[in-house]
Amino acid sequence: MIVRTGLTGPFPRSESVVAATRDLDRGRVTPEVVEDLYARTEAEVVALERRLGFDQVTGGYLRWADLFRPFAETWEGFTVGPLTRWFETNTFYRQPILNAPPERVRGAIAARLPPALRAEPGRARVILPGPYTFAGLLENRSGETEEALVHRLGRLLADEVRELTGAGYSTFQFTEPLLVDRPPERALAEAVVAAYGSVRAAAGTATTVVWTYGGDAVPVYPLLDRLPVSVVGVDLAETDWEAIPASSERRGLGLGVVDPRTTLVEDASDVVRIVHALKDRRRPSVVWLGPGGPLDLVPWEPATRKLHLLPAARQMLVRDDGGRS
Amino acid sequence: MSATLFPAQEIGSLMKPRWQILGQHGEPLDERARADFRSANERTHFADDAASAADALLDGRSREVGADAVRDLGALFALRLFESAGLARVYDGEARRIEMYEYPIRQMRGFQFQGHVRSFDNKYYLKAAVTDEVRLERPYHVEEFEFVRRHARAEPKLPITGPYTLADWSYNEYYLGRRPGWKGPRVRREAQREFVVDLAKRAVRPTLAALIERGCRVIQVDEPAAGTHPDEADLVVEGFNAATEGLDAEFSMHICYSDYRDLLPELLEAKRCRQWAWEFANRDREGRDGYEVLRALAEYGDTREVGLGVVDVHRDEVESPELVADRIRRAAQYLGDPARLWVNPDCGLRTRKLDVAARKLDAVVRGAAIARADFANPRA
Repeated sequence: MIVRTGLTGPFPRSESVVAATRDLDRGRVTPEVVEDLYARTEAEVVALERRLGFDQVTGGYLRWADLFRPFAETWEGFTVGPLTRWFETNTFYRQPILNAPPERVRGAIAARLPPALRAEPGRARVILPGPYTFAGLLENRSGETEEALVHRLGRLLADEVRELTGAGYSTFQFTEPLLVDRPPERALAEAVVAAYGSVRAAAGTATTVVWTYGGDAVPVYPLLDRLPVSVVGVDLAETDWEAIPASSERRGLGLGVVDPRTTLVEDASDVVRIVHALKDRRRPSVVWLGPGGPLDLVPWEPATRKLHLLPAARQMLVRDDGGRS
Repeated sequence: MSATLFPAQEIGSLMKPRWQILGQHGEPLDERARADFRSANERTHFADDAASAADALLDGRSREVGADAVRDLGALFALRLFESAGLARVYDGEARRIEMYEYPIRQMRGFQFQGHVRSFDNKYYLKAAVTDEVRLERPYHVEEFEFVRRHARAEPKLPITGPYTLADWSYNEYYLGRRPGWKGPRVRREAQREFVVDLAKRAVRPTLAALIERGCRVIQVDEPAAGTHPDEADLVVEGFNAATEGLDAEFSMHICYSDYRDLLPELLEAKRCRQWAWEFANRDREGRDGYEVLRALAEYGDTREVGLGVVDVHRDEVESPELVADRIRRAAQYLGDPARLWVNPDCGLRTRKLDVAARKLDAVVRGAAIARADFANPRA
């Protein structure tokens, strides 16, 4: 069994970045000082990811204020709106306000990716908002229906993927917590499938991942199974994993095994037991293990501690599989 | 019920004046801080009860005054601000508190602070994990209440963070870790229930008992986390009931920025809660009636008082007294009983500069007077 590991969302800011960004807001340090610290801390995250043997690196996306901000600040048609609660967490995002049909700006998102990824884009995991979550969480004043918006965002994100694959990036994760929080029905569900069809067509041989979290994925599995992507990830702390349906489709199974809602470190043997059970039921081509959601829900030090679960679980799984990986 | 229609109350914290911040840090007041102090004192004479400390502070001798005496002045400042605005229930603007989570947690054993978590942008909060059984070192807020009781001219109302919010804002290691196997949704929920109830029984209730013993009669239990997980409304209630069991005081529950319908009817099982102190003004905009949700209380037959948020604490624009009066009238109509309404800001006013906060409080009181006159003379 092939097992892959890696981050699936933002990593927490270090205490020194916390202090520096606070000081920046109070006018006590210059933006250059904070910029330098970001660069060093991103390099530290990449070093941690490598040390833990992750298959892709992310740099932690420390500068991204939220999942949508780089888009709301750079793509045409958007303004940055009010603070809004991020699902059932005590964190907030600024709701993008879409005033007109959106248009992407070439190069804008590439420029916002962690600089630490640019040196080795083939090992990077590009983490983007999924078209359904993006369309559903913005304030839509554009006059387009939600279905049309999902289609359009799918095409724009596909263009983004096309541009980034040209720059050497080869793994794209689309973060879709809304898929399990408010599953789409009928025409909207078809729009989601079509949006990922656009992405798939643009991705070529690149790996595409849909990562859900924050809710039970079981009710939405019929839709998840239709998405034309390489891997679908679910949040195991929120999903009734014993009810995940059987499948003969041999694509990647993503399992969010690190719970970002607690500092308690998970037990690798629990993870291995679940993976074995799901492997028999889903017959995945590859198992991707990672955090079940944004790990920046815990501070830097416990986040680092928790990530050690991933190589430990992988080692046990590979051992159980006779050393094949 | 109050004898007067629509009495006004405070709901939480005020922004600390610049002179308090400088003074607490032992720094001499600058010209602006001195001017703020003098101008406030001219209006409310808040420093009359601490004249020598005030003189020393204005004289640049902050270190000599000491942080505690500066906080006393800050508490007096807030008390007199609320009283001069005409509020019937007052507190000290949480002048001694930094926030509503870290301080109570530091009065307990069983917790370890883990570091900062980002709330949004460059704003963070410190978060602890419960790593052992919760134990209270000593009841908290007691000295600050005694100070308020000695100095308040209106009825004191103490705000305290509720057990559900303390649990929700912490990481649950101890109660979760005791359960074997994978920590799925059901296991996490049971562990959280145990945590909330332990916090309520072992920390919040003894603190409430100590406060009541010292004469605290009106207590607002703050549960801002209640709206974060609507499916845990029963845990909010269980925590509230455990924290107040066997205690005799006038309890209210403050919840804000939530869809209250999602919390009903479970929330209505909160025993000993006499008042819902909720935020409404924030959601009351042109084309959207923020008070309409009160129909739900009427539909469920709930007859408790409502602390009605009538001014938005997240906007500088000060509501007119007429708008406040209109909000009160609408709320009274939805509830079907004006006598059950208190009026207040949506939430603590610490998000607003002090002059804006004072003008918003004035709008609350003046709006209530307009509405009161309407109800006394409905044909006028």
